Amino acid sequence: MSIKSIDPRVTRESLPEQPDTNPMKEFNHWQTYEVFHQEKSGSHHIHVGSLHSPNSEMALILAKEQYARRYKCVNMWVVKTADVITTKPEDEDIFETAPEKIYREASGYKVMDRINKFKDEQKIKK
Amino acid sequence: MNISKSEIEAVKDLIYRMADDELILGHRNSEWTGLGPILEEDIAFSSMAQDKLGHAQALYQILNKLGDADPDTLAFGRKEKDMKCCHLVEYPIGEYDFSLMRHFLFDEAEALRFEMLSKSSFEDLANVAKKFRGELKYHTMHAEIWIEQLANGNEESKARMQSSLNECFPLALGIFEPSEFEDILISSNIFQGEKVLMESWLLKIEEILEKANLKIPDVSTLTPVYGGRKGYHTEYLKPLLDEMTEVYCIDPEAEW
Amino acid sequence: MYGGGYIFEETKNGKSNAIEEDSNKLKHFEAKIAAGDKIEPSDWMPAEYRKQLIRMIEQHAHSEIIGALPEGTWITRAPGFRRKLALMAKVQDEVGHAQLLYSAAETLGKPREQMINDLITGKSKYSNVFNYPAVTWADTAVIAWLIDAGAIINQVANSKGSYGPYCRALERICLEESFHLKYGHDNVVFLATGTSKQREMVQEALTRWWPPIMHFFGPSDKISVHTETLMRWKVKMASNDDMRQKFLDMYVPKIWDLKLIIPDENLNKNEQTGKWDYTEPDWDEFKKVINGDGPCNKERLAIRRRSEEKGEWVRRALMQPSEKYVMPLA
Repeated sequence: MSIKSIDPRVTRESLPEQPDTNPMKEFNHWQTYEVFHQEKSGSHHIHVGSLHSPNSEMALILAKEQYARRYKCVNMWVVKTADVITTKPEDEDIFETAPEKIYREASGYKVMDRINKFKDEQKIKK
Repeated sequence: MNISKSEIEAVKDLIYRMADDELILGHRNSEWTGLGPILEEDIAFSSMAQDKLGHAQALYQILNKLGDADPDTLAFGRKEKDMKCCHLVEYPIGEYDFSLMRHFLFDEAEALRFEMLSKSSFEDLANVAKKFRGELKYHTMHAEIWIEQLANGNEESKARMQSSLNECFPLALGIFEPSEFEDILISSNIFQGEKVLMESWLLKIEEILEKANLKIPDVSTLTPVYGGRKGYHTEYLKPLLDEMTEVYCIDPEAEW
Repeated sequence: MYGGGYIFEETKNGKSNAIEEDSNKLKHFEAKIAAGDKIEPSDWMPAEYRKQLIRMIEQHAHSEIIGALPEGTWITRAPGFRRKLALMAKVQDEVGHAQLLYSAAETLGKPREQMINDLITGKSKYSNVFNYPAVTWADTAVIAWLIDAGAIINQVANSKGSYGPYCRALERICLEESFHLKYGHDNVVFLATGTSKQREMVQEALTRWWPPIMHFFGPSDKISVHTETLMRWKVKMASNDDMRQKFLDMYVPKIWDLKLIIPDENLNKNEQTGKWDYTEPDWDEFKKVINGDGPCNKERLAIRRRSEEKGEWVRRALMQPSEKYVMPLA
């Protein structure tokens, strides 16, 4: 006896009424790729996610649909996850003091007071 | 373009063939949604099925402009004998090897046909052909990579691809079933015709199939599967149409 | 689309195992979350956090791929181009969401194939609502509107959670889902305001689906240390009751606008409490169905299994056995 479903596609499969609940024997891993997406000309490529693919050629083909199907996109990159080199989480501290170095920020340079003081002094001299 | 009555008849016949092919194949391919061999590919295949339906709708729109019914009525309201699709697209989805091979053989023809039509003297058709060029480029890229990779995969996938090719090939020749309007279409520069299309198609697929190390059936030894363009269909079309129109037929006048 | 924020787990005891973890690391971890920072895959996390997140994200992923089935039932029979194209796009999005969510769960260390195996053996659960059949076309309209509505309420809440990859996946999902809800509502409106046959169809569908919809967010949360910990870790973002109330607030008036009857005489917004009163859903029925005895459980798993089996030769043909499995980055 096979399963009769409301879904005609399911009925066509003639599935056994008592399905097998054993685990499937094979784990068929494909490789993992990271996907980068450029929304429009001039934009940065942004990381949008990952996917499984047997190779890089196929990865681009699959990325096009999974990551650009519903979005504006002009270009895509894929990189094997194994090839991405990252900083270690415990090394987060190497980035810590960067925001404090105001000598590298425009906001670290305020001279209005000095100019005004100078102007005032000049007026007095006259 | 000043178009004569006989030219209209010719272009309509052409568009019905194309639109019906796209509708039926799009419908067939949509049957894989959620049931594909791997998630990423499921998404891709289903997306292309949607594209096909979009092409069908745009083509029926042209027919509507030429005085025929609206796209929904044309797609959902016609009986089997009035459909002009080829047998290839009617076949059930089978296993993934069959669906992929059908996708490859059909989409290569579609891409070439649209390329030819982008220069058509019949402006509406040329515009539709140009519009979908990018989509079809992706469809053929997708098909070619899958065919090549599976055919060069392992023993099993090689065997499956070869046997699908053997099965699909005579059916695919039915895409190019000769048309009684061939001469008018050529002389009015609407379309260069099925014969020319088939020749370019053969060259294109041979190129890919060689890379895939697949044995190409000898055209001269095959009987192409004709009949679809004249309204003679496989046993699969009527059940497909019944299913496709089940809800629509509850009330064709209703707005869904 | 998703199932309730309800994590289908019978907790054996209310205690979390967090106490056994390195208490310094735990303090730092909890402070990070309290400050609104996200936890990323390479960060330290308590084993319990990892376990609960895997379970939650995995179930969400399974719900998407199984959720593609009730509506998928009607893809080949959708009436007219507009509905056919939209339904195909919607169901395809669900498959895409499954992919995004499996990837997010994979960042926690469980390979996708293992999750899929757990699904088809019945070990992992998915949202119970998908164990019911889409009997007519109108059922797909009700599902697309009201089930997606419930899912969006959950997803919006969870997108403010603590785990980076899950939040990012949810943001993308919420963006794509905005059309699902509109499509569903549009569909129900056309049916409810259409011919008498259409109206009858959608009323019957609503009557049929109301009990599973009320089950969707799960039973009232038992207050326990376990629940409290999950909320502190921003794994569980809102109580089941809160989400259900939100859903009723947002959608019951819209249903009543169409003069559709909700099959619950007690459903009413209580003037005094400001909350919706309703007949308590049948939680025994819910338990029965989630444990395998629903109308479609066997069918859902059977077709899922068949799809995997049919695809085996494809996956095997292209696999490079020498390449080791690598977890996604983010």
